Amino acid sequence: MTAKWWLWAAYAVALISLLVFPHVTGVMMRELIGRIFILAVFGMSYDILRGYTGIINLGHAAFFGGGTYIAGIVFTRLGTSAAALLLAVALAWAFAALLALIMGQFAFRNTGAGGVLACAMITLAFGEMVRHTAETLREFTQGADGLTFVVPVIFRDRIGMYYYALLFLVVMTVLLRQFINSPTGRVLQAIRDNEQRARFLGYDVRKYKLLALVTAALAASSSGFMFALLTRFANTDLLSVQNTLNALLFTIVGGTGTLYGAIVGTAFVQLVQSYLLELRGIHEIFARWQIFFGAIYVLVVLYMPLGMVGAFLRIKGSLARWRTAGSNHTEAGE
Amino acid sequence: MKPLLKVEDISSFIGPFHILQGVSLEVYPGEVVVILGRNGAGKTTTLRSIIGQVPPARGQITLDGVSLLNMPTHMAVRAGIGYVPEDYGVFDLLTVEENLKLAMRQSDKATLTRRDEVLDIFPDLGIAYKRLAMTLSGGQRQMLSISRALVNDNKIILIDEPSKGLAPIIVERIQNVLMTLKKKTTIVLVEQNFALACAVGDRYYIINEGRTVLSGTVDDLIDDTALQQTHLGLVLT
Repeated sequence: MTAKWWLWAAYAVALISLLVFPHVTGVMMRELIGRIFILAVFGMSYDILRGYTGIINLGHAAFFGGGTYIAGIVFTRLGTSAAALLLAVALAWAFAALLALIMGQFAFRNTGAGGVLACAMITLAFGEMVRHTAETLREFTQGADGLTFVVPVIFRDRIGMYYYALLFLVVMTVLLRQFINSPTGRVLQAIRDNEQRARFLGYDVRKYKLLALVTAALAASSSGFMFALLTRFANTDLLSVQNTLNALLFTIVGGTGTLYGAIVGTAFVQLVQSYLLELRGIHEIFARWQIFFGAIYVLVVLYMPLGMVGAFLRIKGSLARWRTAGSNHTEAGE
Repeated sequence: MKPLLKVEDISSFIGPFHILQGVSLEVYPGEVVVILGRNGAGKTTTLRSIIGQVPPARGQITLDGVSLLNMPTHMAVRAGIGYVPEDYGVFDLLTVEENLKLAMRQSDKATLTRRDEVLDIFPDLGIAYKRLAMTLSGGQRQMLSISRALVNDNKIILIDEPSKGLAPIIVERIQNVLMTLKKKTTIVLVEQNFALACAVGDRYYIINEGRTVLSGTVDDLIDDTALQQTHLGLVLT
């Protein structure tokens, strides 16, 4: 049997396990895994920027939180009909695309050595403006109290929502994979490696960066929208820079520039966080899970700079080279 | 005959430094023009001004009658300039194939034919086609860099010090390649290696302290050892 056969078999087993999972586990774990599916897309959207284009966006949560808030506001104001659902999706995407275009126009203006820092600062400012706006528009958002809302009937069944989240993850992974493997994706990777060299080949770097930002914004907004359907709650924390740093953490722990790394990183971070919170009963220090996360973050950056998937790919590459060298040696010996 | 590329008295700054203070040159279709000069004379800045990376503050640059002044780099390149930078400019984390595909501005039959011709000129690249560019030797990276300029239907190719940092045997191969290319396209070559420049060049310009100080045919330059010593610092033996 070939290695490819085993790979497909592993995919099939994983898929069947995920399909069966909600029927054999408790509510809490089911909710957690559904949350991981949705947040993984948020992580992947960040990887499109950080891992594939070399952009540091500190306002990325504005797209995610914007999707959540728009869903909540539309469902609260206009009800939960199919028309309201479609309108909410359209508004969430329109908001994300428009914000990305405006943000990008300013963030990608500077080139050269100071460009990365300028981009980080400008996106941070835009993110904070959106968060501040959400806090002040209390009539719509309930401010810091948060907005609780009901969702359309088809999303109220908890097991059903688990499957929607799984489907969402699969579809978005395929779409984003297609995007980064397309000729446009290759240009983005070239820009990440060296902007100036991409210009020497005739590419309008700013236009491609805008395209990457809009794509990532639409993915993050979709993720935020699904998060609204899952949690039925929105608060301004979802728009905060802390939430952007969560996405960065997912990609760094899993491996930047690998796409799948964001899925692994999200699962790891969410599961460890949940486990640490459960340990509160043993000692109250575990309630301060951020301390442990800080330590994990430092350890990963120091000892696993490529992240989990990056490290796995490197080991796999080394093994392949070792096997090739071994077989060449055997042939030479014969 | 009208010049294909005309640079008229350009003046360029890098930050506060006035690097080019009056560079002029003309390049006619089908010829190889070499730009010579000591280190820091402004040769690389001249090429970078032509492609808009260091936009001139004064003067005029035209390619086939079209002004390149105030044109961003990507537009100048798309106007028909192939640029081979001195640091090769290849993308290390992409394969040879991906580097070539990235350079191809179209995927029509003519472009694919040009790519196949390039792979015939550089068989090393065909062998390493699926390998990451970071695994290539210095000579192979230079070949990949030149190949990327050749896959498009460029009007002119600017090559910046192709022999820099390469072993003599590789420089010899690069020279052979440039000899082949000069039959196909128009080239502006910045080169410190005098022997290579003389072997492939038709005409020369000498730049000193940001100004064009001398020009002529390469054959005349080869015969004039006093000029070589004065302007290029070549030691007479």
